[in-house]
Amino acid sequence: MTQTVKEELVKRSPLRVLDKSISGGLGKGRLGVLASRKGVGKTACLVHMASDKLIQGKPVIHVSYSSRVDYIIKWYEDIFKEIAKKPRMKGALAIYDEIIRNRVIMNFKQDGARTEQVLRSLEAMIVHGNFPAETLIVDGLDFAQVDPQDLGKFKEFAVRLGLEVWFSASLKGDEPLFNAEGTPFLLEGLMGAIDVLITLRHHADHVHFNLVKDNGKPAPKVLGLKLDPTTLLIVRAPARRSR
Amino acid sequence: MSTATARMRNIGISAHIDSGKTTLTERILFYCKKIHRIHEVKGKDGVGATMDSMDLERERGITIASATTNVAWGGHSVNIIDTPGHVDFTIEVERSLRVLDSAVLVLCSVGGVQSQTITVDRQLRRYNVPFMAFVNKLDRIGANPLKVRDQIAEKLGHNAVLMQMPIGLETALEGLVDLVAMKALYFDGPDGEIVRTGDIPPELLAEAAGLREKLLDAASMFSDELTEAVLEGRPTEALIRAAVRRGTIARKLVPVFIGSAYKNKGIQPLLDAVVHYLPDPAEVENKAADLDNDGAERVLVPDPAAKTCALAFKLEDGPYGQLTYIRIYQGSLRRGDELVNSRSEQKIRVGRLVRMHADAMSDIDEAPCGDIVALFGVECASGDTFCSPGLRLAMSALYVPEPVISLAVSPVDKNAGDRMAKALGRFTREDPTFRTHVDPESNQTIIQGMGELHLDVYVERMKREYRAEVRVGKPEVAYREALGRRVDFDYTHKKQTGGSGQFARVIGYLEPLAKGAYEFASEVKGGRIPREFIPSCDKGFKAVIKKGPLIGFPVIGVRAVLTDGHYHPVDSSDIAFQTAAQGAFRQVYLKSSPQILEPIMKVSVEGPSEFSGNIFGSISQRRGIIVSSVEDGTFSRVDAEVPLSEMFGYSTVLRSLTQGKAEFTMEFLRYGRVPPPVAELLKEQHLEKRTKDARK
Repeated sequence: MTQTVKEELVKRSPLRVLDKSISGGLGKGRLGVLASRKGVGKTACLVHMASDKLIQGKPVIHVSYSSRVDYIIKWYEDIFKEIAKKPRMKGALAIYDEIIRNRVIMNFKQDGARTEQVLRSLEAMIVHGNFPAETLIVDGLDFAQVDPQDLGKFKEFAVRLGLEVWFSASLKGDEPLFNAEGTPFLLEGLMGAIDVLITLRHHADHVHFNLVKDNGKPAPKVLGLKLDPTTLLIVRAPARRSR
Repeated sequence: MSTATARMRNIGISAHIDSGKTTLTERILFYCKKIHRIHEVKGKDGVGATMDSMDLERERGITIASATTNVAWGGHSVNIIDTPGHVDFTIEVERSLRVLDSAVLVLCSVGGVQSQTITVDRQLRRYNVPFMAFVNKLDRIGANPLKVRDQIAEKLGHNAVLMQMPIGLETALEGLVDLVAMKALYFDGPDGEIVRTGDIPPELLAEAAGLREKLLDAASMFSDELTEAVLEGRPTEALIRAAVRRGTIARKLVPVFIGSAYKNKGIQPLLDAVVHYLPDPAEVENKAADLDNDGAERVLVPDPAAKTCALAFKLEDGPYGQLTYIRIYQGSLRRGDELVNSRSEQKIRVGRLVRMHADAMSDIDEAPCGDIVALFGVECASGDTFCSPGLRLAMSALYVPEPVISLAVSPVDKNAGDRMAKALGRFTREDPTFRTHVDPESNQTIIQGMGELHLDVYVERMKREYRAEVRVGKPEVAYREALGRRVDFDYTHKKQTGGSGQFARVIGYLEPLAKGAYEFASEVKGGRIPREFIPSCDKGFKAVIKKGPLIGFPVIGVRAVLTDGHYHPVDSSDIAFQTAAQGAFRQVYLKSSPQILEPIMKVSVEGPSEFSGNIFGSISQRRGIIVSSVEDGTFSRVDAEVPLSEMFGYSTVLRSLTQGKAEFTMEFLRYGRVPPPVAELLKEQHLEKRTKDARK
């Protein structure tokens, strides 16, 4: 029974729209970035994406630079409860305890943690801890302090260990935040290492997803997804034309 | 409320291992003139700190049983309970928290918030105990009280406010700045017994002003008067104290004090703070269940003239007989008073009433409401409530976890056997998490407890205090069995042996129960089974699940439902239905694909980050699941869930993996399913043992 619940959850997930839009998903050895202003819903999106991997039985390491571990655990519980509220998803809660065993949370203090040290600890978890992670979620990394070499090291690490990595990038400061192509100014110098870039933007009463870069190529389009403001889940939305 | 109660404080001192709690207590006793010399925990003088009354504690440098002691400070009477830091003895910590009104949480200024601190914080939260923090060991290399304050705020989520700042740190530690009075404090004399006030060193003025501003900001939240005074630029000490006190008692503010117990710095101001900021017994609401009123909750009134209600929270066997520590919640206690034990309904008369100080005591005639005292020669168990005749209250039962580990002990000779029995009798009365029974099959005495160290300490105490030499078996995990799914039964018990026979038929089903160990329901209609035999079936099920057919451990999570049956007017009996229920269970249990469950422990390992790989590896090798790892600079903490059976000897392994620089704590989390290969192994072992026993 649990198998069918999982299949259903995977099949019906709005994230399949994302997979399709970015030519079959992010993929091993690649880096993806979700960028927006603070408070738009990046963490919720990352947790939803991680949950989707967990349901597929794929181990996830959730790296956090700021939040306390218990807050992150709460995020997963909340997102999962919301998923379970969707029609025909009643069985979802029953599998929660089981799938959550494939998640490890690693918390680093921003000011003490250099990229090498973070990667060393991650490698220790994967190799010594015998944790076969496929996806890495990196939430709360301060991109204002990240230089191209740092991201290059993440890239090298992802390729070597066969990981796909999703980052969140918080955008601060006065408008405008984006250049003509829709790339945040903050990330302009780092685009060499970023394979997929999605920006989240408020539009009228909801948040929608702009695909700015898709597997190395500029690909400006609005995805058929939006963020439900009450549940903070990613949901399907009729696709629009790009602006 | 009496003035005696208002001038009373019941405090606990809780901390992580090695944060210097016992040293701190020792200094408090010294400054309160209860002892005349200071001894260190691992003292060279061979005396040991006064609070560690047991030899073993002296030897190992740890505190096991909480001794309570009374001191006087600034016209106030302060009862202090020295609590143990090891998780294995958490029952002691929880018991102390139940009877205390507030606590001092001791932290190391280098280690900061550690795993055990988090456990203690959770316990303080559970019992809603207000507390203040004391950041100790400012003399140590790497001391950073500001970082520790931040950790209390971030890791524990408390509104922590520094009340003092250091003058110098590490070896250069000279004294403290009191941020309320804005004065410098120095501790002179050979034992720091002379407190000298002075002006704040000019180079620290700016920082002190900044910290004071934060303190005023935080305190103003609890007092409009103070807010006004701050706006007018005239906040008085009294106003600040009152506001901080209000915030602390409401658990919305945690005042942080600093010092070095070892270097005799900051202890007297801490004692002042206990009096200033922590609640008196009347300021804390306590409830009891009214047994004459269907167990309805009732708030106790801290009135010395009211009828008495008191809780026996700790028993100790001393050279003069059994000593019962008791906390008075309502009314007062006088020599010659008559009290009734609400559980056993036995009457007792208060004979000797004493106030305790670690190993010494003083006789008293009367104790007011809120006080903690000891009685002599009272037969009771810890957790019993005593009331004046005519009142039947029960203080809420203390939460007692089930033991997770057991050990066979056998005395080397008959003398040792007698002494062992005496020791076990005392230990089980003192510590509800420590149990003992005789296994009917092997005829061995089994002791059960909360962890390896827990049982180790009791085996040691048997040898030392009772001279009972025992041989010890291998520690065994308390496994459980559980039904896999719902199964129906239809079982007839029939026996014809001349005379009157036995007949009973039971029909129904067994199903897994998500919460709880066992439930029984009868849906039998129309007297198909006579009413008097329904409880017999219940009894039968209860008996049979005590020893599961798979590996001989109790079956938990069983709901037995009786739907139908059959009886014989002559041959049916209580025993026949009991046997039928047992037969029915055995008939279908194995068909439900039963599972073996094992205790899963919540394990927390802390150590330098360079050893993370080794720590991760050691957990994954033990069938553990890493839940999270938190890295803070060069220090990291790994939280994991690991089966208890894999944790034997872990302390040795961890020590060698990390050059002795990491430590771990663990506590019971839940029962989890044993993976199939391990389950098969356990079944084989059980079968082997059974055949061996049968051959004997």
